[in-house]
Amino acid sequence: MTSDHIRKSFSILFVLIFFAYLFGPLIIMSLTAFNSSSFPRVTPWECFSVEWFEFLTKDQKLIEGLQNSVFIGLGVVCLAVPMGLAGALMLTQVRERVRPWYYTITISPILVPGVVLGISTLLFWDRVGTMFGASRESVFYNGFFLTIIGQATFISAYTMLVFISRLQRFDRVQEEAALDLGATHVQTFRKILLPFLKPAIASAAVLAFLASFENYNTTVFTIVSESTLTTFLAAKVRHGINPSISALAVVIVVLTLLGAALHEAFKRRELAAEKESARVAKGEQKSRGAQSRFLFDPTVIMILLIFTAGLGTAYFAGTIGLDECKTEVLAEKRRIVQERIKKRQQKTMFQDAGRQALTPLTQEEIKKRQAAPGTSNFQGLFSPENLEEQVGTSKEETQDAPGRAGTENFQSIFAPRNLEEQVGSEEQKQSE
Amino acid sequence: MGFWQDFFRKNGKALGLFLLGSVACWMLLMIILPQLFMLDFSFRTNVPPPLWGTEAHGYTFEHYRYMIYGSAQSTESYNFVDLSVFGRTILTAIFVTLIDVALCYPVAYYLAHVATGGWPRLMVMALIVPFWVNELLRAFAFKIMFGSTGIINNFLVAIGILDQPFDFIRNSVALYSGLSYAYILLMIFPIYNAVESLDKNQIEAARDLGSPWWRIHWRVVIPHAKPGITSGCTMVFMLTAGALAAPQILGGPSSLWFTQIIYQAFNQAGNWARGSAYAIILLATCIIFVLCVMKIFKVKLGEIAR
Repeated sequence: MTSDHIRKSFSILFVLIFFAYLFGPLIIMSLTAFNSSSFPRVTPWECFSVEWFEFLTKDQKLIEGLQNSVFIGLGVVCLAVPMGLAGALMLTQVRERVRPWYYTITISPILVPGVVLGISTLLFWDRVGTMFGASRESVFYNGFFLTIIGQATFISAYTMLVFISRLQRFDRVQEEAALDLGATHVQTFRKILLPFLKPAIASAAVLAFLASFENYNTTVFTIVSESTLTTFLAAKVRHGINPSISALAVVIVVLTLLGAALHEAFKRRELAAEKESARVAKGEQKSRGAQSRFLFDPTVIMILLIFTAGLGTAYFAGTIGLDECKTEVLAEKRRIVQERIKKRQQKTMFQDAGRQALTPLTQEEIKKRQAAPGTSNFQGLFSPENLEEQVGTSKEETQDAPGRAGTENFQSIFAPRNLEEQVGSEEQKQSE
Repeated sequence: MGFWQDFFRKNGKALGLFLLGSVACWMLLMIILPQLFMLDFSFRTNVPPPLWGTEAHGYTFEHYRYMIYGSAQSTESYNFVDLSVFGRTILTAIFVTLIDVALCYPVAYYLAHVATGGWPRLMVMALIVPFWVNELLRAFAFKIMFGSTGIINNFLVAIGILDQPFDFIRNSVALYSGLSYAYILLMIFPIYNAVESLDKNQIEAARDLGSPWWRIHWRVVIPHAKPGITSGCTMVFMLTAGALAAPQILGGPSSLWFTQIIYQAFNQAGNWARGSAYAIILLATCIIFVLCVMKIFKVKLGEIAR
C-alpha cells in the first residue's frame, strides 16, 4: 500500500507543477507591471506603482491599434457567424457520399498554419485586384479588408463547429411540424431554427471576436500598412521591452477573465432556461430560480465588485508614496554603485593603476549597462571620460608618491573625506 | 439535378440561396482558390509587382530549387542555411509535441479519474484561462522569466546552483518551453475528453485481475485515449511548426524558425514568390505529417478535428 501512497502524492505533485507551469509565467508577468523598475522584473522589487498603466493610456499608437483590432473583430464576427451557420446547416444536407470531403475542406483552415492562410489571402486578392485593374487604394489592397477575410477563413470553421454541436441536439420534427402547419421556409428558419440556435450564435460571436482579437500569424501578413493590437505588441516586444507591455497584459488578462466569467454565467443561465423549458414542456410548474436575470446574477455582481475594488486599491496604493519610495530606491542603487566603484578602484590600485587594466573593465561595464536598461538612472556614470577622470586622479596620486609604500596610497583613498568628495561629484553629475 | 431540386424544396429559395452563397464564398473564395493561387504563384519567377500577369511572369522551379541547392552563385552544394532551419523547425516541433504528451497525459488522467469532488470541474475551467491570453503575451511572459536578470536566473544564482546567469534565450531553452506552453491546451483537452469517456470499471477490472499500474495504462487507458492523443499531437505539431510569435520573441539571435524565413522573404526581401514556395513546403509537410499520424494510429480526420 505504501507504494500506492507514494504514487498518489507523486501524481498530486505533478499536477501542482503542471498548474504552476501554466499560471506561473502569467502571474510573474502581471506582477512586473506593478514594479516601478524600468525593466520588467519581479526581483529586485523596487516600488509598487501603477505608472506603467498611465504610460499605456498616453500611447497613441496603442489606442489606434486597439481601435483597429476592435473594428476587425466586429467585421470578422459579421462574416464568420453567418458563414459558420451556413456551413453547419449545409453539412446536415449534403449527400452522405460528399459529406467527408465537405467536412475535410471546411475544417482544413483550422489545421493550416496561420502564416499560410495570411499569405494565400494576400496573394489571391492581390491577383484579383490586378485582374479587375483596380487601383492600389482599392479594397483589394486594403489591410482591414484582407485581415477580415483572412481571419474569417479559419474563424468560420470554429463557429461552424459550435453550430454543429448545437444542431446535433435539434429536433427536426419541430421544423416539419411548422412546415406542415403552413409556415414558409423562411418563417420556419426564423421562428424555429434561429431561436434554437440563439445561444450558439452568441457563443460563436464571442469566440469569433476573441479569436480575431488575439490572432497574430495571419494578421501580420494581411494587415499591410495598418496596425492592430497584436502587430503593435509584436513590434514593441521586439524593439525592447518595458513593463508597459506587462501592464497591457494585465489589462488583457483581466478583461479575458471577466469575459470568460460572463460567458460561463451566460451559458449557465441558458442551460437553466433550457431545463426550465423542458420542465414546462412536461407540464410541470415553473420554478422561481430560473427567472433570475442575467445582469443581477450574483456571480456576475461579485465579479464586477471584486474587479472594481481591486482596481481602486491598486490605483491608490500605486500613487501614494511612490515618489518617496523611488528616491529611496535611487539612493540605494547609488550606494551600491558607489561601492562597486570603490572596489574597482581598490583593484586597480593593486594592479598598478594602469589605464590598460581599466579599459576592458569599462567596456564590460558598458555592455552590462546596455543589457540591463534598469540602471538607466546612472547613465553617464560609466561613460569612458568619466572613468578616465577617475583613473586620472588615481594616477596622479600614485605619481605623487612613487617611493612610498602602497598601503599609504590606499589610506588616502579610503579616507572618509575623499569618498565624500567622490559621491558629491557623482551626485552632481546626476543632477545635471 | 435531383439534389438541387430537393435542396431548394427543402430550404426555400431565399434561405437556399443564402446557404449556397455563403458556403460557396467561403469554400471557393477563401479556402480553395487562395491556396491554388499561392501554389501557382510559388512556381512563378520573381518579378516586381507591376509585371505580374505579363509575359515576364513565367513559370519556374527556381524557388523550390533555391530551398534545396541555394542560389546559383553560392559555392555550397546545398542550401544548408534554409534546410537546417527547416529540419530544426520540424524536429523541434516533434520534440515539443512529445513533451506536451508527456506533460498532459498524466494530468488528463488525474483530472478524469483520480481527482474527486468539485476539483476536476474547477481545474478544467482554470485550464482555459491561459489559453485566452494572447500568444504574444505568453511568449513575453517567458521572456521576462528567462531573461539574464529574470526570476529563474536570480533564483538559481541565489541558491548557488549557478555562479552566473545562464543565457536561456541563446540556448533555446526559453523557446522550447515557450512553445510547449503555447499550445499545451490543445493537447490536454482532447486527451482529457478521450480519457474521461473510459469506463472506470475497466480500470477496476484490470486492477482486480492483478495488473500493475503501468500495464493498466499501457493496455487499457492509452488504447482508449488514442484518438485524443492523436488529435492533440496533430494540432500541437501543426501549430508549433507554423508558430511565428513565440520564435520571434523567444528565439535567440542565431536561431531562426522556418516561418521567420517566410516572413523575411515577404517583408524584408520582397520576394513573394519564394515566400509562397516556402509556405507551400510548410503546408505540404504539415499535411504529410497529419496523414502519417492518421495512418499510423488508424484514426480518421473527423476524429481529429473536434
